[in-house]
Amino acid sequence: MLVIGEVINATNKKVGQAIADRDKEFLQNLAQEEENAGADFLDVNATRGGESSEEAAVAMQWLVGIVQEVTDKPLVIDSDSPEVIKAGLDKYNGDKVTINSVSAESERMEAILPLAAERQALLVALAHGAEGIPDNVEDRLTACGQIVEKAQSLGIKLENIFFDPLVLPISVDPTQGMVTMKTIEGIKSRYPEAKTVVGLSNVSFGLPARKMVNRATLLMAAYAGLDAAILDPRDSKMTPFIKLADLLTGNDPNCKAFIKANRKGLLVE
Amino acid sequence: MTEDILGAMKENVIQGRITKDDEGLEDEMTGQPGVKELVQEALDNNYEPRTILDTITDAMTIVGDKFESKEFFIPDMLAAAETVGVAMEMLDPLLAQSGIEPKGKVFLATVKGDLHDIGKNIVAILLRGNGYIVNDLGNDISAETIANAIKEEKPMVVGLSALLTSTMGNMKGVIEVLKEAGVRDQVKVVIGGAPITEEFANNIGADGYGADGFDAVRVVTSLVG
Repeated sequence: MLVIGEVINATNKKVGQAIADRDKEFLQNLAQEEENAGADFLDVNATRGGESSEEAAVAMQWLVGIVQEVTDKPLVIDSDSPEVIKAGLDKYNGDKVTINSVSAESERMEAILPLAAERQALLVALAHGAEGIPDNVEDRLTACGQIVEKAQSLGIKLENIFFDPLVLPISVDPTQGMVTMKTIEGIKSRYPEAKTVVGLSNVSFGLPARKMVNRATLLMAAYAGLDAAILDPRDSKMTPFIKLADLLTGNDPNCKAFIKANRKGLLVE
Repeated sequence: MTEDILGAMKENVIQGRITKDDEGLEDEMTGQPGVKELVQEALDNNYEPRTILDTITDAMTIVGDKFESKEFFIPDMLAAAETVGVAMEMLDPLLAQSGIEPKGKVFLATVKGDLHDIGKNIVAILLRGNGYIVNDLGNDISAETIANAIKEEKPMVVGLSALLTSTMGNMKGVIEVLKEAGVRDQVKVVIGGAPITEEFANNIGADGYGADGFDAVRVVTSLVG
């Protein structure tokens, strides 16, 4: 299970303020904490909302620069705006950058897919159709199919795409847990070379004991074929479940990683 | 007897029980009458529709308080609002007969470029549960469509929703188009959505900001009440 650290995101109030204040030390500390906690990738989102697109682009470039000063972990350039993503990619130094994200909305595909092809970036692709987030598995897979078709025509390899089946709050619609799981299964069976990723925390929106719900969801999603999760790697109660996900799905040869985590005292029961 | 039926009605709205077969928050509730049965019983016993409506509104206020204090969560809130929807279907024709006007008309829309509707839908459910007439214009709605709808149907409030940082700016565009169309003074504009803040609402010249569904109801009520 690949871990994408979600902490450096301006929609979090403190982080957003730190980016606005250009508080380099605070943000570099976050990056180091995420790396030390085992993140494989660091997501960076510099947009609080309400700023102009020039301001947002400048903030993203600054953020990419200062995070790369302190970590060699590959970054995931995260923005709703293609211009801001492009600005982040321009500043990025190194290989294996990831774009977060594209959907099957035609204007997003037209803006993002050529960028991904040109920079040979990894790509997070949302199962989000032209009409919104479908409430059922079939339409989510259709959205993925539309992205695959366009991406392949530009030479983007399936193995470079992380499909996000999307997670809607089960507090609002209790069927959504299984919609996500079945979408992961569908993606893995249609496109075996492609990878899957989810942002876990949406699942528990509006419920009590949210972190418990998130941990359980990670294990179910691992069974369905999840390859990567966007989460806070510093959450010490989540760490055992990341190890368990690999252990229980046969992705931890000789149970080495699990036993190693135990030696380090990471497996808090 | 009065207090019994109305008291039970209030409790069952809070517990989100539509019929006697529904589960409540306490184990022993199943089998006892739910909101549907209790509203019918109250009507059969000649209670004024207005009295029943007030009871339900009181119950929703309590649900809002419990949500705010984190005793209640979104599923509790939705279940309670659903009971109100059922009660209102029974009461609406009777309220109209007795000449009681609904509280007011509210239009809702997710702005252009944004397809997220969960938050807007929750606001719609809660406004309806509080006696407002809600016309949900949908997602990805242009400023012009919103302005035309306001011109034609004259709602008291329009609620705008956005989830994306890249679309929240379109809220400002809606307000500008309302000004150009000459209808800005006829309608209160309330905004909400994950990236929205009070500060942003003030900056773009909105009349109010709702942090969550119940807050949206409070803001709407304070603007039109």
